[in-house]
Amino acid sequence: MRMADPHEGDGDSDRRFEREALPWLDDVYRFALSMTRDEADADDVVQETYLRAYRSWHTYAPGSECRKWLFTICRNVFLRTRERERNRVDVAGDETHLEALAAVRATSTLRGGGGEDIFSRLDLAPALDRAIGDLPEVFRVTVVLVDVEGLAYDEAAAVLGVPIGTIRSRLFRGRRLLQEALVVYARDAGFVPANRAPSPCTGLA
Amino acid sequence: MDCLDVVRQLWEYLDGELTDETMQEIRAHLAQCRDCHPHLDFERAFLDAVAATRREHAAPHLVRRKVLAKLRAAGFEM
Repeated sequence: MRMADPHEGDGDSDRRFEREALPWLDDVYRFALSMTRDEADADDVVQETYLRAYRSWHTYAPGSECRKWLFTICRNVFLRTRERERNRVDVAGDETHLEALAAVRATSTLRGGGGEDIFSRLDLAPALDRAIGDLPEVFRVTVVLVDVEGLAYDEAAAVLGVPIGTIRSRLFRGRRLLQEALVVYARDAGFVPANRAPSPCTGLA
Repeated sequence: MDCLDVVRQLWEYLDGELTDETMQEIRAHLAQCRDCHPHLDFERAFLDAVAATRREHAAPHLVRRKVLAKLRAAGFEM
């Protein structure tokens, strides 16, 4: 016997759910896939997300950001159903500075050797897609929420239930790892020489 | 603010996630420093390329059908 839902069979409520929640299915699927990295698992997470969203639709505040609300449910579904150990990686302040320097190096490496127009000359989408998939989960989810889905830092922090500083550090490291992957890809494609001159701007090799 | 300070914060600058004061400082630096512009262009192109991966993954029709079937079983009426 199924438990009664406060909005079960409520036509107006269902139409509002159809109008406000269902259009985000692609977004929720992408987010689920970024966490599971497995299409079948993402399929399950998305179904459960929408079921929970429907059953708790009466708690959704009309006019608020429905996609963010769905992402939050999706994240919770993923964590609960997979019972995956959260891979916490905290980046200390000093380390963040080193990460910044590493990012500058990666950027300079890609820019060196005529790599400025790498984005127009190479089809980077498949390489980036793979690189995003290879990121450790905490970085991958943050990059997907901010860079792919376009959430602000504070919105991503709310979805993931972490401080905004954690979003900043995870985003920084995630992007740096993506650029390092692009360095490898660009070198394989013959775009970047192994040895290059220091950047004239920063002096970083 | 020197070039390294600017380059270190380019991502947050492009994201619009710095304080108004820092955003203005970086904007002023970029307006008079030609060396930093390639970094800015590169990082903008990088972030655009990452954002473009969004097109790669739409929910398969089968997932959409399963979601609707599950919702209907829970009482949802379209």
